[in-house]
Amino acid sequence: MSVSTPPVAATLGLRDQARSQRRVGVRVVAALPLVALVLLLPAHNGYASISAYAAIFVMVGLSMNVLTGYTGQISLGHQAFVGLGALTTANLINTGTTAADPFMFAVGMVMSAAASGAAALLLGAVALRIRGLYLALVTLVFGSVFADAIFTLPSLNGEDAGVKAYRPTFISSDYRFYLFALAMVAVCFYVDICVRRTKIGRGLVALRDNELVASAFGVNVLGYKLLGFTISGAIAGLAGGVFAFWTQQFSDKDFTAAAGFNMALTFVVMVVVGGLANRVGVMAAAVFFALVSPISPLMAAIAQHTGWLNFYTDHKFYISNLIGAVLLLQTVILNPGGLGQVLRPFARWFAGHPFSLHDPDGGSGVGAMEGSSVRA
Amino acid sequence: MHESVLAASSFSVQLNLLSPLINGIANGAAYGLLGLGLVLLYKSNRIFNFAQGEFATIGAIATYVFYAGTGVLPKLPFFLAALIGLIASVGVAVLTERLVIRPMFDRAKVILVVGTVGVALLLIGVEGLLPYPKTQALPSISDVFRVRPFVTRIDQVPVLDQDVAMVLMLAVLAVGAFVFFRYTRTGTAILAVSQDATAARVVGISVERISMISWAIAGLLGGVAGILLAVPPAGSVTPGAFTGTTLTVAFAAAVLGGMTSLPGAFVGGILLGLIEAFANSDASFVPLLSRVQNGQAELAVFLVLLVVLMFRPRGLLGQEA
Repeated sequence: MSVSTPPVAATLGLRDQARSQRRVGVRVVAALPLVALVLLLPAHNGYASISAYAAIFVMVGLSMNVLTGYTGQISLGHQAFVGLGALTTANLINTGTTAADPFMFAVGMVMSAAASGAAALLLGAVALRIRGLYLALVTLVFGSVFADAIFTLPSLNGEDAGVKAYRPTFISSDYRFYLFALAMVAVCFYVDICVRRTKIGRGLVALRDNELVASAFGVNVLGYKLLGFTISGAIAGLAGGVFAFWTQQFSDKDFTAAAGFNMALTFVVMVVVGGLANRVGVMAAAVFFALVSPISPLMAAIAQHTGWLNFYTDHKFYISNLIGAVLLLQTVILNPGGLGQVLRPFARWFAGHPFSLHDPDGGSGVGAMEGSSVRA
Repeated sequence: MHESVLAASSFSVQLNLLSPLINGIANGAAYGLLGLGLVLLYKSNRIFNFAQGEFATIGAIATYVFYAGTGVLPKLPFFLAALIGLIASVGVAVLTERLVIRPMFDRAKVILVVGTVGVALLLIGVEGLLPYPKTQALPSISDVFRVRPFVTRIDQVPVLDQDVAMVLMLAVLAVGAFVFFRYTRTGTAILAVSQDATAARVVGISVERISMISWAIAGLLGGVAGILLAVPPAGSVTPGAFTGTTLTVAFAAAVLGGMTSLPGAFVGGILLGLIEAFANSDASFVPLLSRVQNGQAELAVFLVLLVVLMFRPRGLLGQEA
């Protein structure tokens, strides 16, 4: 994928870059429709709720991106961290029938991230000693156990009726809540960038690519893996906290049994289809999978227009499964770079580089998971 | 974990331990049946096959639609329908190998595992869109032979002959597969490929053919499991019937028995079934388990899995090779 750069091409590239830097205005104008789409479309009443749902998916996507993209580990039980975040926030605030107090709301959000981060730290301390593919199994079983055993405790799920989590008044409308979720996405996005660009990220990627070499260069293997696992868990927990206020309650049924298993698989599908270690791609894939999820009004609207509404309502869970599966298989077999590879030239252009389909550092994420540390 | 269970069973019979014992063995046989296919593919390809549960479901569904004569399909005798079910399972497994696994032969194992997750999701989706009665179940062995439903009662606890058939079938398949790997040319060739594909190629083994054979056998094992498991009271031919719940425990069972040992799948399956049943019934003798209201069984499975992977990663009967 990397293009060899003879001197002539290099100077050309530099000149291109100088020229394109003068065209910041063009980029700003080009970005306007995108910004308008993200900010204004959800203002339409019917779209606000699903947009907030998509924002939550994006947060989970970023969490999976840290774990799978940067550390090369795979988690089939991430719904447990999301659920734990939701459980913590809802139980901490426990609004009853009144709107949440803004201060307690903030505390709840922080605690949701802290609780899931702590859970990830504990699980990682035990499970990260297990090598290779077996970790995927442990997370799979952890996800179902954690949800089934902890979330169903009557003292934590409001005696089976669900714990209410009404939004504070300043974000009570769906659109305002969406803007709040967007702000949380920005926080997670910033964390993701920090993780990737600092010593932590370089250590994680080095470990992912070759554990032996990385440890020879002084990277603390278990410590860094644990850190990556914890950060991923904390972001997932924050997403769970937002999720609790999206549904306005914590109900264990969202995370246990088949619902939880489906959720966990959707998260994995999302990160793979988006492109490993490619945050723009993963975010785009997360939005896509939120929009084709069974709760999406978009899919129902399409089905209604094409006259398939009855068929769709009867089969919507299977249809979203099928879409995810086809995209996943297509990605792993034919297009390992995922959606991110397709979007990367545009993302780079927006970031100030000249537009080019030949991407100098493209495909750097393709090797994620191909590293020796995750070979069984 | 299981030592404490056995100790408890010896001193207090009034806890009603017979019923969980029998249930445990019956469920364990189910885990073992699914586990056999998992072990086979781990032995031959070094991957976890998350589509194994759906190979079973496909077999059960194909058997059901021909047995019940759904839609335009003819109504066939059970064994003919079961044969079609097995062919369907093998067909799906071979297609999986050809379309998903083989194009990714030289990729990392994790990617292959993600691929099998994709196959599982795809099969669930396709099954869901097929028009057939999804809540129905296959006839049990006693229905097929038109005999009285219970083989016997031990101390008032009925023993379903379906369960007896499952345990017997599991034992036969485990021993048969063991013999296959130990004594046949194809079996040893599969092992040779799993140890070193290049070296196997050098001595004249077709790696592609071996891969297809091992997936076909896995499909066959999955089909047998599906036809035996999709019977009342617990089983049905629902899409994804075995993937969400049974498959997870089957994995744990295979790990407990040793991911590389076929008799291990038998032993691990039965043991894990027992552990689950006892954790679910009278868990009071295990302090931690009695505190949770639901999911004692899952918690026990998780603890067993962690302990095995931490202290004996090769399982009870597994070998490093």
